Formats: sequence, C-alpha cells, structure tokens
Amino acid sequence: MKLIELVILIVVVLAVALLITVGFEHIIPSTSVRRLAEFYLYTAYNPLVNYTAMSPEAVTAIVWDFRGLDTLFETSVFYLALIGSLALVRGLFVEHVEKSGHGLSIIVRTVTRITAPMIIAVGASIGLHGHLTPGGGFQGGSVIAVLPMIVIVVFSAGFLVLKGVTTSKLITTRSLGLIGIGVTAIALFLAGLALGTSAYVFQNMAKPAAQISMPVSIGGALISGTLWFFNLFEMFAVAAGFTIAFLAIMMARTLEAEKR
Amino acid sequence: MSSVEMLNTYFLSIVLASLLVNTTIALYALFFKPHYVKKVIALTIFSDTVNTFAIFIGYRRWVGQTPPRVPVLTDLNQNAIENTIEEFKSLAVDPLPQALVLTAIVIGLAVILFLVFLGWILYSHYKTLDMREIRGLKG
Repeated sequence: MKLIELVILIVVVLAVALLITVGFEHIIPSTSVRRLAEFYLYTAYNPLVNYTAMSPEAVTAIVWDFRGLDTLFETSVFYLALIGSLALVRGLFVEHVEKSGHGLSIIVRTVTRITAPMIIAVGASIGLHGHLTPGGGFQGGSVIAVLPMIVIVVFSAGFLVLKGVTTSKLITTRSLGLIGIGVTAIALFLAGLALGTSAYVFQNMAKPAAQISMPVSIGGALISGTLWFFNLFEMFAVAAGFTIAFLAIMMARTLEAEKR
Repeated sequence: MSSVEMLNTYFLSIVLASLLVNTTIALYALFFKPHYVKKVIALTIFSDTVNTFAIFIGYRRWVGQTPPRVPVLTDLNQNAIENTIEEFKSLAVDPLPQALVLTAIVIGLAVILFLVFLGWILYSHYKTLDMREIRGLKG
C-alpha cells in the first residue's frame, strides 16, 4: 500500500514538472493572449462577423453559445450528482413538519425576513443580467440557494416545508428548468424544420449555412438570443437543486437526532 | 525591463509559487490524512487551487501607463464599432479559462454534495469516519 502511494506521488510530481515545462511560456502572464481568446473577444459582440453571439459578456457567450454542448452536459452531470445524492439517503430522509421550536432570537429572525427578498433580488439580477455583466444562471441560482440555507439555520427545515417549499415542488421546478433548457436548445432547429430551412441544434445567431437566428433584443432590451433563456432556466434548476440537497441534509440530520 | 515590470513579474511569480505549494499540501492531505472529512476539505482546496491556476494562466497584463480599467462595449453604431471591439480585444483577459472554471466550480460543488452524503452514510454504517478503520472492516 505504501509503495502504491509512493508511486502515485512520484507520478504526480513528474506530471506537474512536465506541465510546467510544456506551458512555461504561458504560465507567467504576458501582455498578449492566445489567438483563440482573441477570436472569442472579437466575435462575442460583433454584428459585422459571422460567428457572433451578440453578448457583451464574453464568458457567458462561451458558456452558452460557443461551447454550449459543454454546459448542457455539465448541467446533466450536476443533475445526476444530485439524483445520486438523493438516492443515497432515500431511506433516511423523511419530509416532516415539526411543531416545536422557535428558531433563533427575534433579532435574527427579523433580519432574515428583511434580507430574504433582497437575496432573491440579487440572485435574479445576477442570473438575468448574465449576458450583459459577469454572472449567469449558475451564479444567480447559487445566490438564491443561499436563502433556504439561511432559513434552515435560523428557523428550521420544517419551517421551509411548512411554507410550501417541499421536495416534490422543488424537483418539479428543477425538471421544468431542465425541460426549458432542452427546448431552448432545439428551438431554432424546430423553427428551421417548420420553415423548411437548415438550422443547427444549439444555434443562437445566424451561421453561414443556417441563416435564421434568435431575436437579439426584445423591445430594445438586449437578450442575446438563447443566452437569456438559458440563464433563466438554469437559474431555476440550480436554485431548486441546491435547495433539495440542503433540505435533505438537514432533514436527515434531525431525523437521526430523534432516533437517538 | 523596468522596475515596475520587474515587480509585477515578481508578484505574479509569488502567486504561481503559492499555488504550487498549495497544490502539494492539498495532495498530501488528500492521500495521507486518515479522516474522511479532512480528505473532503483537502479535495475542495485542491480543486480551488487548480481553478485559480486556470484563471492565472488566462490573466493578461495591463498595457500602458494608466491604472487598469474595465473594457466596456457600449457603442453599436457602425463607425465606432470596429474601434471599440479592437480596443476591447487588445485589453480584455482570456475568457476561455474563466468559462471552464465556471463549469468546474459547479461540477465540483455537485461532487462535494455527493461526497458529503456519502460520508454521512459511511458514518451511519460504520459509526466512524476514520478511513483506516473503515478499510480494516472489509464490508
């Protein structure tokens, strides 16, 4: 066993040394970036070129347009990890509402009540402005998922269930978000079938071989085609997913404490 | 190489060196710490370090004598557009590592969640999280 650990460590050291050797030119940042990065920066918000995403935020353009399939499979990995976690605790996790207990002191509870809508507003702002400023569906959803965490700590997990945030509702929200992502991904493809022109799956703006595109803006507000919809649905999916996980952890713990 | 440039390189080298040291410590804890929770903590430190490393590689030095400012795309009229985008292209950092790190963070969070649930199940089965004892129990 010690020998295996030693061999693993030696291999890791050699691999890191090789990595440093190969990437030495790029490791200390210089004043220039790679050609690929220049391509992304040049085309992300440029109506004059072919492969544009029409989003001023280059990171979101990469995440949901240039490398959209990456993010789609990332979403499914996240979904599967969550399903796996819930399957692990399926027998130990019972949704129940406890009547006893008052939570933390009244100051903490009042502050939580005041900050709750603010947290949701900040999360929604981060998520829905993802195509304009740094942010996006994942970040916005994670910020919103902070709220149930705080509520569970300050009040209790049963309080959350009492307010109507049940596991089945959360799973429904999550599934609706995932369905929304899927529909948005094939929306232009279906439109192409209906109109009799060619279109790609996961297409956002017009490409040389597929001349239809999503609307760049609605009523003068820039939505960057599919990016806004992806961010919206991803926000719901991520927020609901994390809330399920927190709820399962905390419920399972209280149940364990009751058994003792 | 001017002294300011030298200092900048030195600061960047400090960041790089501490990232490598951090990676080493996290890997050591991941392999040799016996407790499950400590292994999970080491794994989060390791993944965060690797993410920071990716961001670091995509970083771009500021050119010019002015303090750094964020390149913002605002104009969309046909005359100004080429200049604005060219300026943006010449100043912005590499967005690709940031996009990949965004992906990695979410996946890492999901994996950590899974590991937390797994550790909890391990504890309720074996009544311990010491990996030496769990390994010795053999089922």
